[in-house]
Amino acid sequence: MTDNEFKAAFEEHKDAVYRFAWRMINSPAAAEDIAQEVFLALLRLPGRFDPSRGPLRPFLLGITRNLVLKRWRDENQWEELADEHFVTHPVSIERSEISHIVAEAVRGLPLLQREVLILAEYEELSLEEVARAVESEVGTVKSRLHRARENLRRMLAPLKPRNPERSEVSHGTAK
Amino acid sequence: MEPLNENELNQLLRKWEAPDAPPTLTPRVFVEQKRSWWQWLLTGTVRIPVPVALAAAAVIALWIYHSRPAAPPRVAQPGTVSLADFKPVRQLEPVVVVNGGQK
Repeated sequence: MTDNEFKAAFEEHKDAVYRFAWRMINSPAAAEDIAQEVFLALLRLPGRFDPSRGPLRPFLLGITRNLVLKRWRDENQWEELADEHFVTHPVSIERSEISHIVAEAVRGLPLLQREVLILAEYEELSLEEVARAVESEVGTVKSRLHRARENLRRMLAPLKPRNPERSEVSHGTAK
Repeated sequence: MEPLNENELNQLLRKWEAPDAPPTLTPRVFVEQKRSWWQWLLTGTVRIPVPVALAAAAVIALWIYHSRPAAPPRVAQPGTVSLADFKPVRQLEPVVVVNGGQK
């Protein structure tokens, strides 16, 4: 990869890589560290990217995902990385902005559900691209995405427009 | 409490926006890119798993132990008398030598 190709790749994908890391770990400083590591990994091992297996963005988001998981494992050494047994609780909507409530709900999902939801819903990757990024089968990704959305539908139920709070929710703040 | 439908969930998810990469990311990546290998040797860091580090430390310790020079044999200093290997005889057997070599 030439310098110019690297610069072009950086400009095209830096925001997606940073946003994904930021949404996954809720720390601007850590997200910036991870984004830096992702592009340095691309620079040092350009041969790892095989264009015949798909576009560059899912590849970079896959590296981002591995670095996020590594950080998560460092911080939660004894916690199991599972997404099957998760009990949803409706989010608290008192005096919070809607975006904060949604962020809290998404970040409350198990890690394996959270990553597929963010990649599919926010980064708009196809199911095949998500599967490549998270190193899983398409069927597994579909199932995790379904569970993630199902959990969010329950967690965010207090924001359902039919509720009396609806009028205030629609203005951006729930009380 | 009735859960949201798909449409309501999609609308809510769109309300959570993430910031773009900060401007500080660009210099961080490109300064690191231009760093030469000898600068990396001076300032870079390497993360090593603990078992590997312990094994490497053990190998180095063994190598240092075996590569020590052997202790030189103890030799009496010239001009001095050492009684370290002196053993008295159990029974004295005197031999009388007369002139001509006969007992």
